[in-house]
Amino acid sequence: MKLFSSYNRILLVISFAGLFIIGVLFYKTLAYYLDRQIDDGLVEELMEVQDFTHEKNILPAPSYYKDLVVEYKNIIKVLNKSSFADTVYYNPKKKQLEPARYLKTDISLNDKAYQVLIMYSKAHRNEEIRSICLVIIIPFLFLLLVLFWVNKVLIHKLWAPFRQLLVNIKVFNLNHDQSFEPVSTQIQEFKELSNAIEDLSFKVRSDYKEIKLFTENASHEMLTPLAVINSKLDTMLQSARLGPEESETLSDLYKATSRLTKLNQSLLLLVKIDNNLMMDTEEVAVMDMIKEKQAFFQELIHKRNLRIELHLDPVYLIVSRQLFDILINNLFSNAIRHNYEGGLINIKLTETSLSFSNTGKSGLLKEEMIFERFFKDPASDGTGLGLAILKQICSRQQYQLSYHYENQLHIFKVKFNKN
Amino acid sequence: MISGLIIYSRCDVAVIQLLTYLQNVYKIHEDISMMKVLIIEDEISLQVSIQKYLTAEGSTCDCASTFDSAYQKLSIYNYDCILLDLTLPDGEGLQLLKYLKKLNKTDGVLIISARDAIDQRIEGLQLGADDYLVKPFHLSELNARINAIVRRRNFAGNNIVVFQEIEIDLNARQVKVNDTVLYLTRKEFDILLYFVANKGKVISKAAAATHIWGDDADMADSFDFIYTHIKNMRKKLTDAGCHDYFHSVYGVGYKFSLT
Repeated sequence: MKLFSSYNRILLVISFAGLFIIGVLFYKTLAYYLDRQIDDGLVEELMEVQDFTHEKNILPAPSYYKDLVVEYKNIIKVLNKSSFADTVYYNPKKKQLEPARYLKTDISLNDKAYQVLIMYSKAHRNEEIRSICLVIIIPFLFLLLVLFWVNKVLIHKLWAPFRQLLVNIKVFNLNHDQSFEPVSTQIQEFKELSNAIEDLSFKVRSDYKEIKLFTENASHEMLTPLAVINSKLDTMLQSARLGPEESETLSDLYKATSRLTKLNQSLLLLVKIDNNLMMDTEEVAVMDMIKEKQAFFQELIHKRNLRIELHLDPVYLIVSRQLFDILINNLFSNAIRHNYEGGLINIKLTETSLSFSNTGKSGLLKEEMIFERFFKDPASDGTGLGLAILKQICSRQQYQLSYHYENQLHIFKVKFNKN
Repeated sequence: MISGLIIYSRCDVAVIQLLTYLQNVYKIHEDISMMKVLIIEDEISLQVSIQKYLTAEGSTCDCASTFDSAYQKLSIYNYDCILLDLTLPDGEGLQLLKYLKKLNKTDGVLIISARDAIDQRIEGLQLGADDYLVKPFHLSELNARINAIVRRRNFAGNNIVVFQEIEIDLNARQVKVNDTVLYLTRKEFDILLYFVANKGKVISKAAAATHIWGDDADMADSFDFIYTHIKNMRKKLTDAGCHDYFHSVYGVGYKFSLT
């Protein structure tokens, strides 16, 4: 629920409950006072009747006015008791039933007891109440409506910096060198929030930069020792005293050093992609590049008896040649490496996407895992960085990289972002 | 002590200057295995390895491990090839390259650096470096690159490498054995040239694989492919009546030599 709806719901419930309670109290009070007023009128009428009987010694004639009725009834005994009450009577003048209020009292005249009933119509009074209520409720409802609208506009306006803040947070991305854009506002709370987020983003960026720098420096520092190891191995290899055992040891050392070198270069490559160092774009003929890569990997393909199916459209992309070369390289080597003897690789290139499908030893892989750094098949002797590099390149180029498993084929699909 | 050093180094300077002069007069360095190389590298153990590898072939090596000593040597002597590490403890290697250009020297320069930043590579090549080799590298690769640089500089136009009955034409990318043209694949040609450049040396499979496939090579498998390529090439060479100069070294590598 939006803040405004939530706020409005509370406001509406309170307003209507308040209106109801106030309305009831108001009505009750008003009705009470108006009844008192009618009662006063009835008492005055009675006093007139009593004055008349005192003076003339006879009862006044029963009268039937428009709203006032005075009646007499013979009774046995004067009970000296008078009572007010509500009733409904037939108004002969208006020819309809009307609510009324009456005063019943006993008077004695010439030792005879009479009951006097003075009745006054409440129609008039009800009309009064209705119009008073209307006069109050209609402006109140109107006021509520205006309040509702003002709230809507005001909240929208007041929360504008907050929404802008949200947009800016969403835009903020560590991978793209886009810093968090602070929001300028007069409202203290939002200003504080914006500042806090800005500080946080600075901290995150500087930490991230530090980690990248650390990786870069660590990898670089490893290169010279690696060069020393390599050169010493090459020197040892020239020794005339080399026997089969020493050769085997040397061979293993070469393999381990090669692997370490490859790992190091992959890490450096990741840093380079992160640092946007390879952004010199040019027009790349993707179809030709794939065919070149096929030739490059031909020994591997032949050795494993892999069948390659190509469905290539002549596609040209404006992209960093080096990055795209690595992208295709990694897709290719992934499809070959995790294939089985006599398997299949299907490469499909269209204007909008490039997909590599390959048969494989394993079943469905977890998409969120395979692109993680150093996640790899335990049997694989790769660095575990190939797909991570692939993902990083795609994220840099704003390509969409997806994996799915269909008809026993692992499918890696890169959707191009053409603009 | 210090004055002794200066006198010693002055004697050294005089001898080397004399040698350089003689070299220029008699064009000794036409045989590219008799190269004069300056190694500017601050990692002493690496410097020593390179020196050992290159001198074994008959090249003369000078070493400098600081910016200042390199600067001095560059000012005085001429070299066929200078190996330049860009990160020196007391200065930037690229400055040496600029200085060399200012002196109008034509020494070949091969940058060896751990910094693979593309900008730096381009800057180095723009400043007149002939090639750029990223650490870590194999000594055989380094040697092949130095050979290529020296060959390019000294034998412009006529680019033919001869080893016994094998004749490799680099421009036409053609191999002849006793005047019979051999048809080698691109990779076989590259491997043959690589081995000839490192004749008499044992080349590891790892070095050969890196030379052919670069860093993209799928290491574990590429070792086997080197074997296949060499097997095929040996057959082509011996079929053409060539002596078999490839010698396998216990599965770790190969040696290309007369014996």
